[in-house]
Amino acid sequence: MTGRVIVITSGKGGVGKTTSNANIGTALAKSGKKVVMIDTDLGLRNLDLLLGLENRIVYTIVDVVEERCKLKQALVKDKKNPNLCLLAAAQTRDKTAITDEQLKDICKKLQKDFDYVLIDCPAGIEQGFQNAIAGASEAIVVTTPEMSAVRDADRIIGLLEAKEEIESYKLLINRVRPKLIKANEMMSVEDVVEILSAELIGIIPEDTGIVSSTNKGEPIVNDEKSLAGKAFHNVAKRISGDNVPFLDLEQETSVLTKVKKLVKTVVDKVRKESK
Amino acid sequence: MDFFNDIYQRVLGFFRHTEQENSKDAARNRLRVVLMQDRTNLNPALLERMREDLVVLLTKYLEMDKDALVLDLEQDGDQVALILSIPVIRAKDEEEIKKQERAKKRKIKVAAATVDGTPKRKRKSTKKAAAAES
Repeated sequence: MTGRVIVITSGKGGVGKTTSNANIGTALAKSGKKVVMIDTDLGLRNLDLLLGLENRIVYTIVDVVEERCKLKQALVKDKKNPNLCLLAAAQTRDKTAITDEQLKDICKKLQKDFDYVLIDCPAGIEQGFQNAIAGASEAIVVTTPEMSAVRDADRIIGLLEAKEEIESYKLLINRVRPKLIKANEMMSVEDVVEILSAELIGIIPEDTGIVSSTNKGEPIVNDEKSLAGKAFHNVAKRISGDNVPFLDLEQETSVLTKVKKLVKTVVDKVRKESK
Repeated sequence: MDFFNDIYQRVLGFFRHTEQENSKDAARNRLRVVLMQDRTNLNPALLERMREDLVVLLTKYLEMDKDALVLDLEQDGDQVALILSIPVIRAKDEEEIKKQERAKKRKIKVAAATVDGTPKRKRKSTKKAAAAES
């Protein structure tokens, strides 16, 4: 088999690249796909934390490149899902410890055993970025509806377009706040899509649950009640080719919908108990 | 009292809000401009130089309000367009143009005398035009 190699990138730091990576990867694995995630942020690794795997890392990508271990030995299996693996970044080295050719080579090898190879890209447009996109044929550009993030996304899109190996790129808009958008104090999803003129793959609402999910090392897609989790599941479905409609965040976060949901759960409980 | 004051400010704010540009539109508009500059590598300084050169070129043929000539980037779908807006008073006739050229050849600084009343600027642009020709 030849899996798809997708790089998740953003230009700007702190927009949710690693969070998106952890959640999309977990969602894909939950749907039965074999997924490996590569953290290419050498020196600033974090994907292990978000997945709760920080204590299980023995070898890193640099150990693989410098032949201290075999590629398979360096893959860390997820606690819950055996379909999901992580190839961690080295924490004590910098971006020059591996080359783009070496990363390409690793991707090629992993493609044979996995349906999806997800690459977590470091912030910036320097060597680390060039390495991360080297083996990929698809890209997901993460941005938020903020000026600086959109500007950096535009720069990244320009660089991706110049790269022949990248066949397609799609936009993931993270940390969307429907209330602010309604009050005309935040750019809407439509605004961002129009400005960047890129195809959309997902809209993720700002969700306070992300903080506690990170604290616990448990991706939010494992929380069935979370709206952000639902949105990430939808992204995974769209990646697999399902045509899932985008969530109407304004409606989903409205008081009326929340009341309806509450009533529904209460009714369900009462019904169960009366049975 | 504070309570009433607060309400008064809010009501005032509500009406003000509708008049002023909201922050979303501000972000969108600022972003559009900055992205056009990023994409084309055309910065404001370069645009101003182009504008000045265009004024020199166009005054050869047109009588116009020099300061009102606007050169700006505009997004046109996927592409960025350079929009030139020139408030024209009238086109110069053939005789005027020839006269200007003769004057320029003799290197006399009266080339744009019929157009502009500000001598300082006039001299500057004539010099520039002469430099461009040589």
